[in-house]
This record gives sequence, structure tokens and C-alpha cells, in this order.
Amino acid sequence: MSAEFDAIVVGSGISGGWAAKELSEKGLKVLMIERGRMIEHGSGYVTETLAPWEMPFRGEGDAALYARDFAVQSKNRHFTEFTQNHFVNDRDNPYSVAEGTEFNWWRGYQVGGRSLTWGRQSYRMSDYDFGANKKDGHGSDWPIRYADLAPWYDHVERFIGVSGQAEGVASLPDGIYQPPMALNVLERYAKGIIEQRWPDRRLTIGRTANLTQEKEGRSACQYRSICARGCSYGAYFSTQSSTLPAARKTGNLTLITDTVVERVDYDAATRRATGVSVLNVKTGERRRHTARIVFLNAGAFNTNHLLLRSRSDAFPTGLGNSSGLLGTHIMDHATTVGAVALFDRFQDRTTFGNRPTGIVIPRFRNLDRQEGDFLRGYSFQGGALRSTWTRAKREAGVGADFKAAMRGPGGWRMVLVSFAESLPRPTNRLTLDPIKTDATGAPLLKIDFSHGENERKALADAGREASAMLSAAGGKVVLSLDRPGAGGSAIHEMGGAMMGDNPRTSVTNRWNQLHDVPNVFVSDGAAMASSACQNPSLTYMALTARACDAAARLLREAKI
Amino acid sequence: MDHGNRDGRGAGRRQFLMVLAAAGAALTPAALWAQARSGAGAAPPGLMPSQRALLDRVCDLTIPDSDTPGALAAGVPAFVALALAHGLDGAGAPVPATRFTGGAGPDGATVLDWLRFELDLKTGGAFLTAAPAAQVQALAALDGAAYAPGGPPGGDPSPWRVLKGLIVTGYYTSEAGASRELQYELVPGHWDADVPVGPHARAWSSDWTAVDFG
Repeated sequence: MSAEFDAIVVGSGISGGWAAKELSEKGLKVLMIERGRMIEHGSGYVTETLAPWEMPFRGEGDAALYARDFAVQSKNRHFTEFTQNHFVNDRDNPYSVAEGTEFNWWRGYQVGGRSLTWGRQSYRMSDYDFGANKKDGHGSDWPIRYADLAPWYDHVERFIGVSGQAEGVASLPDGIYQPPMALNVLERYAKGIIEQRWPDRRLTIGRTANLTQEKEGRSACQYRSICARGCSYGAYFSTQSSTLPAARKTGNLTLITDTVVERVDYDAATRRATGVSVLNVKTGERRRHTARIVFLNAGAFNTNHLLLRSRSDAFPTGLGNSSGLLGTHIMDHATTVGAVALFDRFQDRTTFGNRPTGIVIPRFRNLDRQEGDFLRGYSFQGGALRSTWTRAKREAGVGADFKAAMRGPGGWRMVLVSFAESLPRPTNRLTLDPIKTDATGAPLLKIDFSHGENERKALADAGREASAMLSAAGGKVVLSLDRPGAGGSAIHEMGGAMMGDNPRTSVTNRWNQLHDVPNVFVSDGAAMASSACQNPSLTYMALTARACDAAARLLREAKI
Repeated sequence: MDHGNRDGRGAGRRQFLMVLAAAGAALTPAALWAQARSGAGAAPPGLMPSQRALLDRVCDLTIPDSDTPGALAAGVPAFVALALAHGLDGAGAPVPATRFTGGAGPDGATVLDWLRFELDLKTGGAFLTAAPAAQVQALAALDGAAYAPGGPPGGDPSPWRVLKGLIVTGYYTSEAGASRELQYELVPGHWDADVPVGPHARAWSSDWTAVDFG
């Protein structure tokens, strides 16, 4: 029986867009399936140019609506009245959490997924990261090392466009960068003090998928910093600005929207997936699509959900789960505000424009020697800025003097947000809720996740070090926190189908294939075997491009 | 804890009576409650005329006209009314009785009920008809207490902080507040990491990171 398509890609977000681009450019006929609605580049960004006073709730949004329909999503910093259309309705898209736990699962069900709202920070993982599981025994050893992925990082960075500064820091390998955005006057000053006092630390501009130079029909950044509304300049990487046009250009892509994949269909006789069963959420129609290979890029947790739902006689607990480990070892990053400090210096200096990235201080702990009482490490992101009108909420005063005092730029402050590595633990896991179902009758995804003692110790150390660095730079620390936010708060949820060489201790192999079903590839965050402490999206893209290359080769060689 | 609360209410009640005594014999608790209740339970989003008059006056006093329009001219009361009706920043929650000077407010009191009670108390019973100087003094006293170092008595922030937050938000997100009082530029077009602050510099209402973190 000949299949409808060569490849089906489930999901159109950061990694799904990449799979569609790479596979279609290799000449494969690709079906990309998106559960949400179409958002066209440019014309679909309906709030992009609106001012607060043109919005019904001034950009603050309808708190009553949010309490009812967006109870989780509205806790996200990037969720505003301008961006709410890029987040899911929590009431319509429920999930459950284990008793006594909390998890903020921030999602965007639309073409482009979270590539529209992502933070754009683009970092490579290092061999400290790829070697971490082997070194301390947590999780499954990564089946690849930095050298395996480096050419694919190159490939991805060249295409998406990342601005940043090469630094030669071993824990955060350099990539191929467009010119960096400049540090502001206080950041530059702090950098000097910090690097002098702590020679093993580096403060550098955030490496961000915002263009500083025009690129293939995409404009350079306009310094608005309203990316999550959608950018019709195409100045940041999203599916819409980058991978979708490339995939469409091949003539090999079919994109369908408003269609939920309910299961991956499996043929026990051939031990291969045959395609997927889908539900059109607008018409209620159910049907099947067939293909020679299936790429799962639904977003880490939804990819797990789909595999767990794809039960059969051969795989009674979920497709590809012969190890029993599917859904386990999920991770996020443990994050909190390391320190906020106020500065008296540079009151006569300010900035112009809105830079869409901050600064990063790469991991410096536990690299070549063990320091302190925790494993692995953390990094900081943040930046310095002058306050604006929102300070008027905090300050005493009414009347003409108050108004006059609020007119000028406020004081300088600098913020360092801590991101600590999340250890892969078998007890942090996803399952199908045994009782609760959604409107279509599907069992809800149940999330059982807690940060552990190691993360708490790492964040405590991070809080001390952030305070020490900002104090050294002349700041007065006004806030320093060391308890992690609820799981999911870093929006880096990942794992559950971890890569590894051993089919008994991992779910996917070194080419992102399910060990059990070699024509199913998992190349979103689900495949992550460890979390490192840097933003993971660039790694998902590189893994996807690498897996697509392997898939095309294996198809040519008739091995899958 | 129970003892502490009772002590707190007791002290508040004594203070309440002292304030009433100072305000004059014509002012009775019953009269004040009647005024406070007149606005309670009004169906959102519309405010009663007396509530709207109070809100107009308080917005005007908080951010008055200068060389740019103030909060009243910028239409802030309508935003605050909308925000209250939709519970922005927790503004929809009833004000607990213990927040009222004297420690015994009506059930289900709104932020505006509380404000009216407190300002009437400080102006001898009728804030809206008091002399402008007395109004300014009353609001400044309320504001000073709400932002007093060491936090407000009772722990929770004063309802005035919530309301002032809405007034400030409404003003600096209005066209006049955002683009005339402050500066607004949707498309800066370039990034300059180090520029001098001019003598008449105005903050950027379109610096979204500063709006979030500032």
C-alpha cells in the first residue's frame, strides 16, 4: 500500500517548522498537521501596531476573562492583552497535576506554536552538559556529544539568524553570529567589575534570534521589543518568518490546521507506524493520514501525551514504551529572581530604543571541579534598565509634584534571573489521567513534577552570587529570592522520551528514532536526556535538522 | 493570633471614636454607614453618579492638569470603572471591614465605598463638597498612610494602593499620558546603548521591559 505522504510532521512550532523545512527541502512530500488555527505572517498579527489606548483594557487585559479562561496562561510575563491570542484557553484545554503539586504549562495552539512568543534566546549546549548524566549518574547518558551536534547548530544558526558575541567560554560554546546588540552603559560597567573580580565569569549580551542585519527577505530588528505580538518585519525567528516560507517554497508541503492528532497508527506486522489518526476540531470529522515516517514535534509534553495515547496490543502502555520509561525524567529549569539592585551611578545616561534581549552570565559553577553542595550549575539572564511609569504605583505622592516627579526616567536597576539545571528524575513524570477527560473524550495529561533539593541548593547559591556581583558593581540589592517558582515557570518543560543508546534505559536513539518503532522520530523537547541550564530551543532545532538528515538517509537506504 | 486581632480591632475602634469626636457631633457612624452603603452592591460596570463624582475628583487630584492633560481630562475614571468591574489587579475583591478606620465596615464594601468613607471622615463628613485645600489634604493624608514606611497597619496593602495603581495605569496608558506627558515610540528603528539624559527628559511609556520590570 503506498502512503499518502513521505512524512507527517505533528506540530508547527519551533521544531515542527524545522522538520517540515528540512524534509521538504530533501524532496520528501510532507504533511504538517497543526491542532490550532492558521496565523499568516504579517496579516495575522492583529495587535502588532496598536497602542495601549487603542486596546479595550489598555493592554492590561480583562482580568475577569483571564480568571475564567486563562487561569494559567495569564501568569506568564509575556501574556498580555496584546498577546493573548497566541496562548491557549485553559478552560478549553485542561490538564491535571498530581496532588500537592503545581505546574504552569504555557502553550500556544496555532500555526507557529510558541515560536511566535518564545524568548528567542539561542544557546548551544556544551560537553559539560552532554556528559553530565554519565558523570553523576542521573538520567540516561546522552548518546551524542557536542561534536555530533555542532555542525547542526551551525546549520540552524545560519538559517534563523542569531545575533551575539563570541566569547570563548567553554560552558557556552560560540556559534555563528550576526553582530551583537550593545550592552547599555550600566551593563558594560557591571561587566568590567564582575569580570575583574571573578575572572572565571563572563557577562555578555544575550544571544538572540533577532536579526541585526537583513537576511533573505527578513528585515533587521526595529527595536520595538514587542516580538510576542508577531513581527511583520520578520526580524525574529518564528515558523511564520522563516521555516514555513522555506518549506512552502519547495512545493512539497501540505499544511492542515485545526486538526488534532489523536494517535500514531501502528502496524504490528511490519513493526512500523503507518501514519496518524486525526480529529478536525472544526467539523468533528475523524480520519487517517498515512506516511512512510512520522515526526513528533507537538511540544515536549504533547508529544508524550500522543505517545501515551497511542496504545495497542503491542504497546499497551503507549507507543515506543517497551522500556516503561516513556513520560519519565521530565524537566524544566528551576528559576527565580537571583537579585534586583538599584544603582545611583549613570543618572545622566540612558538608552534609546527597546533592545529585545538582555544579558547572560554563563554557567561558572561545577565545571572542571566540584564546588559547593549541589550538582551541575546555573546561569543568569537579566539586564539593566531605567524605570518608567510603573514605578508610580509604588511611590507615595499625589498632585502636581507627584506628576512632575514621575515625568522623567526613573532610576537604574539591574536584574539577574537565575536558571538552575533540573536533574532528570524518574519520579517526575507524565501519565494519562485515569479519570479526567477533555471535551473529545481523551484522557487528560497528568503532570507530576517537583523541583528537588539540588535545584533549591543551586538557586540558593545563585541568589548569593547574584547579590554579590550586583553589590560589587555598586548596586543596592533590594530583592533576592532562592525558592524556585512552580514547575513549568521557565517554559522549558522537556523530557519524557529521552535519548540514549540502550533501549532498556531510554526511549529514543541517537537519531531521535523511537527504539521500538524506527520510522517514528521524536525531535522536540521530549527527546532531551538532560536539561543543561541554558534555553533549549536552539538544541531542539539542531536535533531536528540532524534527525531529518538521518531520516532521509535511512529512507534512501530503505532501512525504515 | 486571635488575641492579636481582637486587640487590633479594639485599638481601631477607639481610634474610630476619637476621630468621630474630633469630626464633630453632627457626624454619626450611622450617617457614615448610610453614605458608604449607598454605593455598595452597585451592579458593575456602571458606577452610581455619586461614585463617579468621587472617582472623577480623586483622579483629578492625583494627577492634575499641568502643561499636559491630567487624569480626568485623559478619561482615566472610565478606565478605573472598567478595571474595577473586571477586577484588574485584585480590585474587584471586597474590602474587609478591618480596613475601615474604626474597624467595622459594611459587608461587601467596594474599594470606592472604602475610599468615600475614609475621605468623608477626613473632611468632616462630605469630601466632595469640602474646600479644594481640604480635599487635597485628605487625599495626601490617605496616600501618606498607605505608603508609610514599615508597611500599612494590618499587613495588607491599603486599598488606596490598588486604586492609585489603577489611576496611574489608566493615565500613563492613555494617549495623553503615554505620548504627551511621557514619550511613546512604537518603532524606534535603532538601539542606542548610551545617550545623555536631557534637562527636560521624559520617560518612555513604550519601553515595555521597563514597564514590566521597572
